[in-house]
Amino acid sequence: MPDCTVVVITYNDAARLPRAVRSVLGQSLRDLEVIIADDASTDGTPEVARRLVASDPRVRYLRRQVNSGGCGAPRNDGIDAARSPYVMFLDSDDELPRHACKSLLAEIERTGAEFVAGQISRLHESNGRLYPYYPSLFARRRVVEGIRQEPELFLDSFSTNKLYDVRLLRDRVLRFPEDVHYEDHVFAAELYAVTRRFAIVPWTVYHWHRSTANDSISLSIADLENVRQRVIAARLSDDILREHGAADLVPHRQYRFLRQDLRVYLNPLPARDLVWVKEFASIVRPYLEEIPGEVLDRLDPLDRVCSQLILDDRIEDLRVAAGSLTGPRAAPRTAVQRGGRTYWGSTPSPGMDITRLRLAELPFSASRLRHEVIDLSSDGRRVRMTVRTYDPFGALPPEWMAFLQLGRLRVPIEPQPSAEGAYVTRVEFTPPAARCEPRIGFTRLSDGLTTTDRLIVDPRTEPIELRGCTVGVEGYAAYLCVRPDSITRAVLRRVKQKVIKRISTPRTKLLAYKLLVRVLPPRKNLALFESDVGKNYSGSPRAIYEEMRRRRLPIEAVWSVARGRGNFPADAKLVRRGSWRYVYTMARAGIWVDSHGFPLDYPKPRGTRYLQTWHGQGIKSIGFDAPDLRGDFDGPRARWRAAVARWDALVAPSAEFSRLFLPSNGYAGKVYRCGTPRCDALVKAGGRSDGALEVLRRLEVPPGKRVLLYAPTYRDRAKGSGRSVRVDLELLAEELADEWVVLLRTHPVERYRPPERLRHFVRPAGSYPEINDLMLASDALLTDYSSVMCDYALTGKPMVFFIDDWDEYRLSERGVYHDLPSIAPGPCVTTTEELAEVLRRLPAVHESYAERYAAFRRMWCAEERGDAAARIVSDFFEEAR
Amino acid sequence: MSSVVFTCLDADTLGGIQQVTHTLAQGLAERGHEVHVIGLHRTGRPFRYVDAPRYHRHLISRRPADGPIARRLADRRLRELLREIPPGYAVLTSPSVVARVSGLLPRGFRPIGQYHGSYDHARGCWHLASIRRHYPPLDQALFLSDDDAVRFSEHALLPNAGALPNPLARWPQEMSRLDAPRVLGVGRLEGVKRFDRLISAFARSQAPPPWELHLIGDGGELERLRAHAEREGVADRVVFRGVVPAERMPGEYLNASILGLTSEHEGLPIVLLDSAAHGVPAVAFDVSGGVRSAAPVLVPPGDVAAFAAELARLVSDEEERRRLGADARARAEAFRLDHVLDGWERVFAHIER
Repeated sequence: MPDCTVVVITYNDAARLPRAVRSVLGQSLRDLEVIIADDASTDGTPEVARRLVASDPRVRYLRRQVNSGGCGAPRNDGIDAARSPYVMFLDSDDELPRHACKSLLAEIERTGAEFVAGQISRLHESNGRLYPYYPSLFARRRVVEGIRQEPELFLDSFSTNKLYDVRLLRDRVLRFPEDVHYEDHVFAAELYAVTRRFAIVPWTVYHWHRSTANDSISLSIADLENVRQRVIAARLSDDILREHGAADLVPHRQYRFLRQDLRVYLNPLPARDLVWVKEFASIVRPYLEEIPGEVLDRLDPLDRVCSQLILDDRIEDLRVAAGSLTGPRAAPRTAVQRGGRTYWGSTPSPGMDITRLRLAELPFSASRLRHEVIDLSSDGRRVRMTVRTYDPFGALPPEWMAFLQLGRLRVPIEPQPSAEGAYVTRVEFTPPAARCEPRIGFTRLSDGLTTTDRLIVDPRTEPIELRGCTVGVEGYAAYLCVRPDSITRAVLRRVKQKVIKRISTPRTKLLAYKLLVRVLPPRKNLALFESDVGKNYSGSPRAIYEEMRRRRLPIEAVWSVARGRGNFPADAKLVRRGSWRYVYTMARAGIWVDSHGFPLDYPKPRGTRYLQTWHGQGIKSIGFDAPDLRGDFDGPRARWRAAVARWDALVAPSAEFSRLFLPSNGYAGKVYRCGTPRCDALVKAGGRSDGALEVLRRLEVPPGKRVLLYAPTYRDRAKGSGRSVRVDLELLAEELADEWVVLLRTHPVERYRPPERLRHFVRPAGSYPEINDLMLASDALLTDYSSVMCDYALTGKPMVFFIDDWDEYRLSERGVYHDLPSIAPGPCVTTTEELAEVLRRLPAVHESYAERYAAFRRMWCAEERGDAAARIVSDFFEEAR
Repeated sequence: MSSVVFTCLDADTLGGIQQVTHTLAQGLAERGHEVHVIGLHRTGRPFRYVDAPRYHRHLISRRPADGPIARRLADRRLRELLREIPPGYAVLTSPSVVARVSGLLPRGFRPIGQYHGSYDHARGCWHLASIRRHYPPLDQALFLSDDDAVRFSEHALLPNAGALPNPLARWPQEMSRLDAPRVLGVGRLEGVKRFDRLISAFARSQAPPPWELHLIGDGGELERLRAHAEREGVADRVVFRGVVPAERMPGEYLNASILGLTSEHEGLPIVLLDSAAHGVPAVAFDVSGGVRSAAPVLVPPGDVAAFAAELARLVSDEEERRRLGADARARAEAFRLDHVLDGWERVFAHIER
C-alpha cells in the first residue's frame, strides 16, 4: 500500500497534464500513487495518460464515460479509487512542489490531525515568481482544534493545498458536490464543519499556475455565469454549515465572501462596462441583502462603501469606488463631512462612512487629490492630455501653483476651475525616455509645501507609442505610467552594470586602496568627514566642520554622502560613500572625522589622524558587549578591534561614558573630555530656534498643538522591520490627537511608514536631517532605550519611557549597563493607556521627577558647556595649520 | 549499505562541528556504511579526532578558495572526487557548505543540510537568510532540537526540517563525586561564550572559599576577562587553565561539582553533554532548544542575578547536586552514540520513503 494518493483531475488539457503528473512522480516521497481522473476529455488526453501509465507503475488512469461539467465528480472518483491512507488533489494545470507530499505526510503522522493544510502560492508564469495567498493564515505551524478557534481560516477554502486522511472522507461521506463550479468552497465548508482537529504548515505545498492567458474555470471572472456560480456556492456552503448545527459560523463564512470572493470581481471592476457592472450587482445583491449589518461593518471602509453601492444599485458610483480599492487608492470625487464624520459621495449615510480612513484630516503635504485623465492623445511626438482634478476634502489653499512631474522633469500646468468644484487641466508634454509614474503636484504658496498624487486613467485606454517610450496604464485601478521601450538601452545598461560589477567589487576597491596607501602620502590639509555612515549632514562631525569653517582653517573638507541623500551645504565637497572617489579620498585625507566608523576593513593611511566623535551615550550595551559582536564567529570581533585601533582621539561626553565605553571597545588612546560638539547647539539654544521653527513648518505642526518627539531605538534582531515602533499609535491618536502631534523619529536602520490613517497625528521624521532641531521643536520626548535621552536631558523638557519589552531587551535582545527604571528622569510605562494617562498629566508628572532629572543630568551631561566643538577644533585641527 | 559523505569547510580544525562529524563518521563506518569526510580547505593546526579512522578522508584545497578562479578549480576537484564515490547521502555540515556544494553533487546523491547553531543565532546573522534560500530544495534539513526545527520551518519556510542531536563521543564509566569545590566553564575565551557573565555570577553567588571557578580554553578575550574578574573581586578564585587536551578532559569533569554555561548562543553544546555524562549538574542560560534538551538548571538568558542564585543553591547543597547530577547522567543516555546513529538511520529511511 502506498503512503499517499494524489488525484490529478483533468479535462481536455493533454498539453499540461504530463507536467502535473511529473511533479508528483518527482516528489521526494516516492512511495505514492497518482490517479489521473479524466472527466471524459475529447482531446488527446487518453493517449497522453496511457503513456504516463506506461512510463511509471505508480500511475493509474480513470476515465468517466460522460463529462460531468465540473471538478467535483472526478475528485470523488479519485477518493473512491485511492488505495493509500492519505489523499491530495491536484489540477492538471498546476504542480506540486517537490516536498509537498512528504512534508504533509510527516506532519499528519506527527500530529494525528484529520487533515493538514499548507501555503498555496500563485505561480505567475509570466515572471516565474511565487505569490503566496494570505501568508498570514499559514505563518504559524500549528494544530487547530476546530474552525471555531480561527474562523478567519474560511479564507482558505481550497481543496488542493491539503492532505486528507482518507478515512475522514469516507467515514463522514465528505464528497465534492458535482453540479456547481465552486465545488471546493462547498467542500471546504463541510470539511470545516465536521473536523475537530487539523494542522497548518507555513511552507508552500501547492503551485497554482497562472498562465499569461488563463482559461481555467475559476478564473474566467469576466463571465457573469461565474459570478452566479460563486453566489450559489456561497449559499450552499452557508446551508451546509447550518445543517451541521454550525449556524454560528455562517457570519464568518459570509465575511470571507465579502472580503475575498467579492474582491475578485471588485478589483477589476473599473475595466468593465456599465451593463456588466449592473448585471453583476444584481446577481450578488440578493445574497448581500441576507448578510447581517454587523458582518458588513467589519469590512474596511472602502469595501463597505462598495457593498453599500451594490445594495443601493448605484452602478456608476460602484465603478468609481472600486477603483480606489487597489493601486494608488485614489481619493473619491466627492465627500461630505457632517457632525465630525466623513462620508464617501455627496450624501451622508451610515454605509458610506469613511471616517476611519482619516482622509479629511491629512496634513497638506500628505493630502489626497483625485486626478482623472479624461482625454489622452498624441501627435506621435507629444502627448496631449486633459485632466480633471477633484479636491473632495477641501485641501487646496486659496493660492497655489501646480505642475506635472514626469520623473525628473517638471512641467508647469494651469488647472482651471470648472463646474462641480473640479479643476480641468490641458497639458502637452514630451515624456522622458525613462521609467516614471507621472504625478500632479500642488504647491501651497503661503509656505512652499507640496502635495502630489498619481493620475488615474480608464483602464481600457490604448497605450500611446512614442519614440523611446510608451505612455500607458497599469494596475486594476489604472494609473498613468511611462515605460521606456528601448531594448538596446536596457541591454546596454545591463552589460554596463555587469562589467562594473565585475570590476568594482568591494574586494578590488580594498586592494586598490591598500596599494594607494602604500604609494601616496596623505595630505595634511585634507579632511574627510562622515556622519551617520553618510546618511546625514549632522551630529558632531557637522558641528566640528562648522567650527572649522567659522575659523577659516586652511583645511579642505570633503563630506561622505550615502546614495540619495541631500541636505548638505552647497559649498561642501561631496563624495559618494563606497565609490572609487571615496576610496581615493580616504587614502589621501590626512584627517578622518566620523561618528560611527569608516569602512572597517580599511587600514588608516600612515600619518592620517582619525577623530572618532561617536554618536551617543546611554544605557545600551556597546562595542564587544553588543549583540553583533557576540555571535559565534571571531572574525567580526577581530575586525572591530582593528577598526578601533585606528582611532587617534575619541570624544567622551561624560565620565560615565568613559567608564563604560572605553573598556567595552578596548580603547586606550586620547580622549577629549570637554562635552559633545553635537550638543553645543542644544546647550546654546534658548527657546525655539530657527531650526525648530523650520521643523514646525516642514512637518506641518498646527499652531497650538503640543509636540511629542517619539524616538525609539532599533531592535537588534528585527532591524528594518518596523517593530521598534511599539506604542499603539492608533490608540494614542484616539486619546490625544486633539492636543498632541507625534514626530516619529525612527532609528536610521529601521524602516517604518505610518499608515495614511495615522498621518493626521503622526509625522514621519525618520529622515529629517537634524535631530537637534526636532528636539528643540518638541515639548516632550518619548523613547525607550535610545541614547537620545542623554542629549534631550540638556533641554530640561519632560521625558517618558515606553519600555514594554524591558526584560527581553535587557536580558537577551541587547543588554544594558544601567537599570533604566531606577535612573530614568521620567516615568517608565508599559502600555499605551498608561502613556496617554501620563501625557495628560505631564507637567505635574515632570515636576515630580525633578530630582531624578537633575541626577540624570549630573551623570551624563555635567561636562556640556556649549564649547566642545571650539575646544576640540583648537586642539585637533590647529596643528594642521 | 549506501555511502555517506560528510563535507566540512575545514574538517580538521579543533571545533564542535568537526568533533561531531568525525564521531559520526566513525560510528556509521563501524555500522558498515562507506563513509567519506571531505574538508574543503586545510587548517593551520590540524587536529586528529579518531586514531584509527575506518572512513576515507579527503582535502580539496590547501587554503580557502577565495576569488573566482581558485573557486572554479576547487569546485572541479570536488566534482571529480564526488564522481568516484558511489552515490548516497551527502551531509553538508554548515550553511556555507550547503551554498557552495549542493549544486555540485552528481545525480543520485541525496543532500542533507545540517545547522549546528540555534535558531536565535541564525537570525542574528547571515545564516537565516542563507538557510531560507539554500535549504528548502535539500532532501533533508537537520537541526539540533525539535524546537529549533519548528522555528526554522516557520521562519525559513522549510518543508524538510527535522532534528537530530549531537552524539557523545564516549560514555564514561566513572561519575564525578561532586565534592570538589569547583565550578567549571569550558569553551573558547571569545565573546559569544560570555564568560564575563559566568565570572559575575560566580562572584555574586558568594560561593565561599575554597570554591573556585575554573575556565578551560583559550582565546582573544583572556585579558578582558582577567580584568573583569579583578573588578568583580574574585581574581584570586578564577583560574584560567588554558587549553586542556581532550584525553585529560574527563579528569576535569570528574574534579568538578557544577558546570556553568553562560553563552550568548549555543546550539547543543558538547560540553553540556559531556558534563552530564560525568554526572555533573549544570546551570545554563535558556538560549536554545538544544540546551533545553540536555535539561540543565535553566535560567532566563542574560539574567546574571538568577544565574548567581542557582549557583549559590548548588554550591551550598551537595545533596541537590547529587540528585541533579544523577538526573543529568540519565538524560545524557539519549545522546549516546548508538542512539544518535539509530536516529541517522531513521533519517536515511525517511529520505527513502
